[in-house]
Amino acid sequence: MALLELRGIHKSFGGIQALRDVSVTIELGRVHAIVGENGAGKSTLIKLMMGVLTPDAGEIRLDGQPVVLQNPAHAKALGFAAVYQEPLIYPHLTVLENIFIARPMRKRWGGLDRNAMVERIGPIFERLDLSLDLLFKPMRELRLGYQQMVLIAQALVYDSRLILFDEPTSILSGTETDHLFEIIRYLRRAGKAVVYISHRLEELLAVADEATVLTDGRMVGHVDREGLNPDDLLTMMMGKAMREYRKAPLTVEAGHSGDRPPLLSVTGWSKPGMFEDVNFQLWPGEVLGFYGQVGAGRSEVAQSLFGYFKPDRGEATLNGKRLMPKNPAAAIRAGLGYVPEDRKLQGIFGSQSITNNMISVVLPKLVGRLARVRPLAVTEMVERYTKALNIKIGALSDTILSLSGGGQQKVVLSRWMAEDLKVLILDEPTRGIDVPTKRDLHELIRELAARGLGVIVISSDLPEVMAVSSRLIVMNRGRVVASYDAVRDSLAEDVLRAAIGLDRRQGEDVL
Amino acid sequence: MRGRSAIWRPLADQYGLLALVLLVSISVANAISPGILSLTNFSAMTTFGVEIGLLAFGETVIILGGGGGIDLSVGSMFAVSQVVVAVLVQQGADIWLGIAAGIASGVIMGSINGWLVTRVRIPAIITTLATMYAYSGTALLLTNGIDISNFPAAFNVFGQGMVLGLPFQFVAVYVPVAIILWFVLTKTLYGYRLYLTGTNQTAAILSGIDIHRVRMGAYVLTGLLCSLAGIIDASRLATARPDAGLSANLEAITIAVLGGTSIFGGRGTIGGTIMATLVITLLGYSFSLANINSVIETGTVGLILIAVVLGQHFVRRWTAAVSPRRS
Amino acid sequence: MKDMALGWRTPPPVSKPAAVRRVGLGYEGILLGIVILLVGAISLGSQGNFWNPSNITSVLVNTAITAVPAAGMTLVIVTGGIDVSIGSVVGFTATVAGLAFENHWALAEAVPVVLVTGALAGLLNALAITRGKVPPIITTLGTMSIWRAVVYALLGGNWITQVPIGLTNLFVLDKVFGIPWSFILAMGLVLLLTYVTRSRPFGRFVYAIGNNEEAAEVSGLPVNFVKLLVYTLLGLLTAVSALMMLGQSPLIQATTGTGFELTVIAAVVLGGTSILGGRGSIVGSFLGSMLVQLTSDGVILFHIQPFWEGVVSGLMILIAVFISLLNRREESR
Repeated sequence: MALLELRGIHKSFGGIQALRDVSVTIELGRVHAIVGENGAGKSTLIKLMMGVLTPDAGEIRLDGQPVVLQNPAHAKALGFAAVYQEPLIYPHLTVLENIFIARPMRKRWGGLDRNAMVERIGPIFERLDLSLDLLFKPMRELRLGYQQMVLIAQALVYDSRLILFDEPTSILSGTETDHLFEIIRYLRRAGKAVVYISHRLEELLAVADEATVLTDGRMVGHVDREGLNPDDLLTMMMGKAMREYRKAPLTVEAGHSGDRPPLLSVTGWSKPGMFEDVNFQLWPGEVLGFYGQVGAGRSEVAQSLFGYFKPDRGEATLNGKRLMPKNPAAAIRAGLGYVPEDRKLQGIFGSQSITNNMISVVLPKLVGRLARVRPLAVTEMVERYTKALNIKIGALSDTILSLSGGGQQKVVLSRWMAEDLKVLILDEPTRGIDVPTKRDLHELIRELAARGLGVIVISSDLPEVMAVSSRLIVMNRGRVVASYDAVRDSLAEDVLRAAIGLDRRQGEDVL
Repeated sequence: MRGRSAIWRPLADQYGLLALVLLVSISVANAISPGILSLTNFSAMTTFGVEIGLLAFGETVIILGGGGGIDLSVGSMFAVSQVVVAVLVQQGADIWLGIAAGIASGVIMGSINGWLVTRVRIPAIITTLATMYAYSGTALLLTNGIDISNFPAAFNVFGQGMVLGLPFQFVAVYVPVAIILWFVLTKTLYGYRLYLTGTNQTAAILSGIDIHRVRMGAYVLTGLLCSLAGIIDASRLATARPDAGLSANLEAITIAVLGGTSIFGGRGTIGGTIMATLVITLLGYSFSLANINSVIETGTVGLILIAVVLGQHFVRRWTAAVSPRRS
Repeated sequence: MKDMALGWRTPPPVSKPAAVRRVGLGYEGILLGIVILLVGAISLGSQGNFWNPSNITSVLVNTAITAVPAAGMTLVIVTGGIDVSIGSVVGFTATVAGLAFENHWALAEAVPVVLVTGALAGLLNALAITRGKVPPIITTLGTMSIWRAVVYALLGGNWITQVPIGLTNLFVLDKVFGIPWSFILAMGLVLLLTYVTRSRPFGRFVYAIGNNEEAAEVSGLPVNFVKLLVYTLLGLLTAVSALMMLGQSPLIQATTGTGFELTVIAAVVLGGTSILGGRGSIVGSFLGSMLVQLTSDGVILFHIQPFWEGVVSGLMILIAVFISLLNRREESR
């Protein structure tokens, strides 16, 4: 029976179409998987279902009646619950309080009836194989996986009809994952509608009754249980890899041909829980792609190389010199650059001018007498790079927020242009950026490599890494699971399999 | 519709609203005490504004650095440094030595604040609440709670001297400090880094900025400014008071915020703080000419403060509603 | 730094040792220990002068005067806010009381008016904070000077000493087992609010908002309403405290209550409430108030220069915060 229907949903953000004409039907007693790469529109879809966003066009129906989900509280009241990758919790409140905060059980005089709550949650905790001792511990003391379980328990207490899982396994161990699957099967038997969002195909095969595949905000396919086989899903997801980016010939011969020493060499780089035993080398003039899904540990490897935090073990050398920067400033002095993944939170200086955003890194080099930042040097630099990077701006004194996402990213990138860089790491450089600007950025990345820089591109956009990289490394769950010394289109499926964890053995063989 | 938003938009801007407030306060001042806008009065007014103005500069710089930066101890540092000078001079030390020691005490107190905030990582509001107590206590201890007033005549120049018909402290301290600070904040490496740190701390770290050093600098600078103000105060009144500046702690913050400094960091200017100081001094002076208690003036300022912040909120919301911004 | 504990290799459900939790609970225990030690030290050092009935009364009444608004301040700070206007609200409500007394109002008439005045002052703060989105520190900085100005406007340089003896009897002189009513009232309030914070949905909402305001909004908790109530309650309790002060010393002048906000905030912070919101306890703030008053009493009894009090208070705050900071660092490991 159809519980929730989304029909012809459109949603766009600042000119970027996040979802186009997506229609999904969620039924009670079934597990509906939504599959797609990062950026395919999965998270937008969840937010629409949970009332965080409202669609630009299209209709949502609940039990056959049109409904407008005004806000998350409304969605919750209608019986929707979501278990996010990073659960929204109250860290200092106990588990019991976290579960019952919004709908407490009360005694006759209105006081909290903890006994009744424990009684109510007891069977559910038992069902979920959770110890009742947990109930009186502060939520912050639980590991993330258990926090998720608590939220599932909450959904059951509230008698939610639709339970939505957003990449729930990325923080779980193998046994925890198995446990979660059992719970999901139980939910299905109990007649709940389950929406399961993941990029790990093997998991979907284990729990899903049907799957909808999204690519670039479009629905590219819907399959039933019978049709659920990895090859078909892979082909649907791959649809994207075949289009879009033009490849330019690499100007510098890549790889270890010749006896040149590597520019950057990393061995045994480990921080348990984030990444383990990462080894790779980077030669000047090449673009090394780091492919993998979000949470695979790629950004953390980059940030630790850049001195944002320390790895527990490992050695790195840059140009033959030992690299272990104690902070980003030291990494920059050593010749490293890093363009972070989260543009808004880590990249831009929101209320500052475009100019100030461009010069944040090179500032010390623009200083003249009296520690004065030379205005002429600033103007010259800023004008040069707006031209070189083809950034469309009104005025340089406008705040960076007046630019589109692509423009902002170009500005962030331009910070590194005037640095004497040896290695530049770009973390998801084109996320949320329109296609023409993406092309510009790819071109730019290749140009940088052509100048003799070593460039690392971290991306979960497969066609992108395939297009820009001369060599490729694939990470999954904190480890390097495959590496490729040449990048051909025919490898795409292999790469995707490795990243998704479908054929991990095969990937490891390559190493 | 568009026309309406164009007319109102300037008010969402820091200077626009502040200029309006300044105009209103000038006319209020003129109404309360007619003839206030004379040159002699201006000269007298500057005497009043210098000290709190210097404290407000310090507060501005600290709040600009973001991360919850605030300093509740400026008034206490102001008291300690004047007492240090007085005690030393009283015991026969050279005036200049005394002044140097007073300034040094300010720098040290500012460094302690900065160290606690940036290294020990105690939230600024708590750190400076604690040091406010501690510094005030120190000032009282240094003098046994007694005012010290037998300064040599040479000391009087800092708070009572005249240069070019204007008070010494205005011409020789406030104006140069304002110019230097304006220069430092808008033209120098430190200034750029301060604004960037205040706007987005993570992005600043990833741009290679040592945000702790930047913020440390703000606290030290504030200590220095407080000591200058304290010395001027002692000289102006020919008395060093260990309990001076008690109300200044919060008043300095009020001026900075009134001047458009965002409590969340990264936004604000020296010009705005100067204008806000002007508003407050003007009101204070006209109120005192009209024999109205200075507390009433502070109350008026409190009212203006809330009205301005509320006004900005609603004007911004309104203009945003009239013409949606590009995202 | 990004907190990324992707610990998929470490299985136990609870990631941090239980010992850490005990420290959090035990903070009040530590405080109680310090209070007892301090009482011991002061009674020894003062050759028994501490136990002199008039000294005991004064310590207890002073503790109550701080502890009553500190209970309200705790709730405000737990939601992630702050209120620096309460010193002026003390002045304002005391003035209202004084003017009523001068006009020969009976206690039973004056007291409700004073309490409502305090509550309204709190409500005004809350409205600016929730509706106008003015940050709490700015709102209350503003109202701090506004109420002080109103006090001056009403009093000028005059004093009011015409406080009915009934108030002194009520809060200071009348005792049960040697304990003044104000202290009993304070303890009653602490018990009540402890019950509310621990066992009423409203109390848990206060903590939930301070823990994660976004989550609270998403779960549909009445965030603005809770804030409104919490600031209003603080205003009301501040008025109670002002009445107690008048009972203690029947003098109302334009400076009444100046700096009181800092004493109360110091007591709350000493009591272990995090200035960042989300954690803290009413009992802790009560003990914090006691600590503050014992210190100043000790300073007097030991004939120490009173100026040490500030230095000691400052150091106490720093040490208290440092300890709770160490705890938290341990936890986040």
